[in-house]
Amino acid sequence: MATAQRSEEIDRALAQEAAETAAKADVKPPYDEMHAPDGSVRPHFAIMARRLAALGPGELDERQRTLERFFLLQGITFTVYGAESSTERIIPTDLLPRIIPADEWARIETGLVQRLQALNLFLADIYGERMILKDGVVPRELVLGAPSYRREMQGLYVPHQAYANVCGSDLIRQEDGEYAVLEDNLRVPSGVSYMLANREASKRTFPGTFRLAGVRQIDRYPDLLLTTLRSMAEWRPNPQVVVLTPGVYNSAYYEHAYLARLMGAPLVEGRDLVVHDNMVYMRTTTGLRRIDVIYRRVDDDFIDPLTFRRDSSLGVPGLFNAYRAGTVVMCNAPGTGVADDKAVYAYVPEIIRYNLGEEPILPNIETFICREPAQMSHVLANLDKLVVKAVGASGGYGMLIGPHASAAQREEFAQAIKADPENYIAQPTIQLSTAPCLIDGEVDARHVDLRPFILSGEKITVTPGALTRVALRKGSLVVNSSQGGGSKDTWVLAGPGDDLS
Amino acid sequence: MMLARVADSLYWIGRYVERAEHVARLADIMLTATLDRAETAAQVARIALSAVGEATPEKIATPFESARGLALDRMDGSSVVSSLALARENARQVRDQITSETWERLNLVHLRLSGATAAKSFNDGSSAFLHDIIADLHLFKGAADATMSHGEGWRFLLLGAHLERAQLIGRLLEVCFGRGVERLDHPTLTAVLRMSCALEPYLRVYTADVRARPILEFLLLNAEFPRSIRFSTDEIEAHLSVLSRHTEAVHAGPGRLAGRLKARLQYADMAEIEREGSHVFLEGVLAECGAIHSGVYDAFVAYPLEMRLPA
Repeated sequence: MATAQRSEEIDRALAQEAAETAAKADVKPPYDEMHAPDGSVRPHFAIMARRLAALGPGELDERQRTLERFFLLQGITFTVYGAESSTERIIPTDLLPRIIPADEWARIETGLVQRLQALNLFLADIYGERMILKDGVVPRELVLGAPSYRREMQGLYVPHQAYANVCGSDLIRQEDGEYAVLEDNLRVPSGVSYMLANREASKRTFPGTFRLAGVRQIDRYPDLLLTTLRSMAEWRPNPQVVVLTPGVYNSAYYEHAYLARLMGAPLVEGRDLVVHDNMVYMRTTTGLRRIDVIYRRVDDDFIDPLTFRRDSSLGVPGLFNAYRAGTVVMCNAPGTGVADDKAVYAYVPEIIRYNLGEEPILPNIETFICREPAQMSHVLANLDKLVVKAVGASGGYGMLIGPHASAAQREEFAQAIKADPENYIAQPTIQLSTAPCLIDGEVDARHVDLRPFILSGEKITVTPGALTRVALRKGSLVVNSSQGGGSKDTWVLAGPGDDLS
Repeated sequence: MMLARVADSLYWIGRYVERAEHVARLADIMLTATLDRAETAAQVARIALSAVGEATPEKIATPFESARGLALDRMDGSSVVSSLALARENARQVRDQITSETWERLNLVHLRLSGATAAKSFNDGSSAFLHDIIADLHLFKGAADATMSHGEGWRFLLLGAHLERAQLIGRLLEVCFGRGVERLDHPTLTAVLRMSCALEPYLRVYTADVRARPILEFLLLNAEFPRSIRFSTDEIEAHLSVLSRHTEAVHAGPGRLAGRLKARLQYADMAEIEREGSHVFLEGVLAECGAIHSGVYDAFVAYPLEMRLPA
């Protein structure tokens, strides 16, 4: 996850650069979620707009404080560890919900289901027959050489071919209002507890508006998650599901405990588990008890010191062998990271066409793959407008932000690309849409993205809601909570055929 | 059935919360005693400080600072703020096992005590501050009782609380009466009753006849008062006998010890205790409590795996 996080940060940083560039170059303004270009309020935001007009600013501020107190009291916090003492902070939460109309959501939902179906098939294929590599649709070295590729997974049976049981995809909205996928998170995506907590908070803040607007419910998520996890161990009559956490010092610990509590599943740490004769047990007060499904919130590298990183103290020695033997299921499967790899991302539209024979419903951010000669010449000709990334690199190395780079830097990259085209991709500078937020008691627009959560087991379900992440600093495109980002609730409105639940 | 680590955490939450409440109460009574004669104030301070730590002449001479230390000194492992931080950290580790209502109570009092304004609140009104902490901890216990299932986890919580309580009261009695019973003046004896939250219940049994011997008898052997050692050992035995039901006989060590200790208090005779010396009896009780504590750990938490593998 560390790698994924770094690349995410780079993307945000790039996005911010892009916004500054856009501001200078006076390009198309970002898509405004609430207002149409003529300044009128979009129909699906009308109820909220009326409510906001009726509320005094002091009243909003008061509600914001009540909300923050609720979060603090519930312990919905992440811990910032310092040298002397540690402090707990709540993730900054904005109480104005982002609203998505039914037709937009229908498209997002079908697009996400399609994408995850294709990615699960892709994973089953590369850890199986590798047809997609043999057919030359995705370059062989790209997949087999990716650091997130796990050869240990080769030939392993995964029920329903559901590798990524929990997926959180990051969507952004481009200037024309079209949703596009910025990143797929198929490893151990987090944030779903904030989605649920934000919903509790916004229901308390806008009860009347909530009811009038016809918002679809998301509170079945824990139930659906449990059903999904259980569907992965159908051979056991009443499978024992546990949530595996790295422990209380992990920044997402609150979420692990929250999900365990709402599913009624034990929250275990590595030290609670024992593998004996390829069976996994947990240490209980009355002895050892067999477990069947592990919803693991520990990265691949740390699952099992015998198979992966030897210095890991978070994992369980022998766990991977038990998994190989089929006596226990891990969700998500190890090795899913290869499908959300930065370079593989560029091929996802092709993967969808190959595996499903369909056109992708949700587009990627336009990505130029330098290994393709035509695309490389386009990249070389437009270096001043593009962001170039080295696919193997992370942590901010091997990257060129064209609009900000000097001629010498661009020349240097042009040479590097020509020398090793397979190692580079390029993307246009991206823009995020804006939504109204409560800033210092005033309603003001801030950039947002969208992280819906998709579950896949026996079937794929998308919860009608999402975590909307907000860049709280004006003009900023950085939505990470560690860098001044916050979150807000996302209301998906019911269409004519939709049940609220 | 519950995770061994979780049982351990719940047990420690029980212990830490009980300790925090006791220390807060002792600090409060120590401060109230400063309004009495100087000798009484010093005597009460000596008892309170010895019962939970060390009573140096400097500490006895500065009761306000000492009380603030008992409440808020993070460097002191047995201060209220330290105990509650540990209780809360344990609760965070088993957040999925306790109800939100229970968690909220503990989190709230922890936030208030560890917040930046805690020292100021204490200086502004120490009595109200300490009183609120005790009241909050009662709310925590009430929330646990009213909202948690009275199953295994709840029993570990209460097992910890009662074992801690028996040891705290035992230590207090040792400090007061370990060296003979007739040395304390009336206001000090009243303060001792209040330190064990026993003044009103005591008066109902013995009327306003406040003397050392009946106090010792009441706090040791009363069957109904929830802070007497006998009451706590009854509870310890009751919880352990249910908890041990699913462990094999070979692991039933703590249950046997608890049964023996319960019987010892149930059939104790005050005259006999006095003949032997009350300190001998108290030392015996405290040693047994220590053995039960280790026994719980060996039987439920850190058992050897070879003995528990499925056949």
